[in-house]
Amino acid sequence: MDHERASSRGLSAVFAPIRTGGLAEEVTRRIEQALETGLLRGGQRLPREVELAAALGVSPVTAREALSILRERGLITTVRGRNGGSFIIDGYLPSTDLALQNLQATTRLQINDLGLHYEAIASACAGIAARRADASDLHRLHQYLRPHEDTLLSWRLVDSEFMLEVGAIARSARLGRELVRMQADLGTLTVLPYTDDAFRESSVEHRNEVAGAIGDGDVLAAQNATRDLIHTMVSWLLRRRARELPVTKG
Amino acid sequence: MDVTTELSPALTRIRAQIGGVQSGLAGWAVELGHHLAGVRGKVHGSAIDALALPAVEALLGDADRYITGAGFIAGSGLVAADRSYIAWWQGPDLERVDALANFSTSSMDRYLKAEWFRVPFETGKPHATGPYIDFLCTDEYVMTFTHPVVLQPGGPVAGIVGADISVQSLERMLLGSLTALGPAATLVNKGGRVIVSAADALEPGDLVAEGVFTTSLDIGDHLVLLLDTVT
Repeated sequence: MDHERASSRGLSAVFAPIRTGGLAEEVTRRIEQALETGLLRGGQRLPREVELAAALGVSPVTAREALSILRERGLITTVRGRNGGSFIIDGYLPSTDLALQNLQATTRLQINDLGLHYEAIASACAGIAARRADASDLHRLHQYLRPHEDTLLSWRLVDSEFMLEVGAIARSARLGRELVRMQADLGTLTVLPYTDDAFRESSVEHRNEVAGAIGDGDVLAAQNATRDLIHTMVSWLLRRRARELPVTKG
Repeated sequence: MDVTTELSPALTRIRAQIGGVQSGLAGWAVELGHHLAGVRGKVHGSAIDALALPAVEALLGDADRYITGAGFIAGSGLVAADRSYIAWWQGPDLERVDALANFSTSSMDRYLKAEWFRVPFETGKPHATGPYIDFLCTDEYVMTFTHPVVLQPGGPVAGIVGADISVQSLERMLLGSLTALGPAATLVNKGGRVIVSAADALEPGDLVAEGVFTTSLDIGDHLVLLLDTVT
């Protein structure tokens, strides 16, 4: 029976329509994601078509198609000549406009539910981390309380990296994967609260409390502080969605 | 511990299995260093791929060693000044790991700062990292064994080769031998972090409290076997 089902699913995959451009879209999506998360930055040179193709295991035609999609979207610019190539446009920043559109398109219910799920996973990680942290774990965790530079992108990176570090200290692969998935689901929304100076500072205090409780080996305090950290973000998003808060920095 | 433990086949097996992984890496490091030294002119990423891939294929295909990912990472200077290069693959289908990183200095940092790269690169000595959750590649709970690569004997470290082994695989590989050694026999890293234990009460990832075990035996340079609890 299982065998039957597996083979019919296999067959439907064989005869699924082949979408030309599907692969190029996938390559494009990855590069856009790298831009959103700050892995690729403005002014940086992208690999040549052939290098890109080899690295990602796609054909050079697909790589060329992906680069041309990125060019059309105004994300890269191509310079001819010996020192030429494709470059991420200068001064590229993850767009708060896009994140705002995203926020308005998400229902209050969805935001609340995402928050509850994130709280459950993250506070579970924090509780286990409080039992398992050693000195070098705590040293690393304290590096993610506040970013080294005061840019929107760095604040957002610190936000996600701090929680991933808590997951790393807990050492549960399942919970860790779930954290990564949650952060992907929250997507660009998490950039918005960090446009607000007051939120930035309060987030540092919350992270400090989480790190302190994990350092003390206090399971309950670590769980509660983590809930507070996430709850503060969710309520900021809900208030912003109701247009009660301005977005000041872009 | 008495003499019989030191002579037990279970202990010999554990030492051979962990030692096999490390000596395999050491052999590969010598071979790859030799090949890289033979490359004329600038070393291109594609040349590194071509030199590293056959060995990775052999490592990932070797069912006895349970290796889930392996590869080579160049320190800055080999490919170009201030540039690194990652040639790493994982899984039975030899899936390329994070190839985009080769074009981004900021993402390269993640590798250069990682313990499993930094320690063998800076000390010139083999290293074992973990157990830790490998958020960069497999998202699994793993140990990563790494070994420095030099182009000439005594020369500067050009990069590192390494292999990831999931803790799950280590359990399959070692639990039988551990149980044969005693009901609480536990393999930990140098920091006292549990990797595999015959005792149900010790979960992988826990720290062993000091003074619980009375006997500790080195397994290679990086791991420790704990035996005989205080009763």
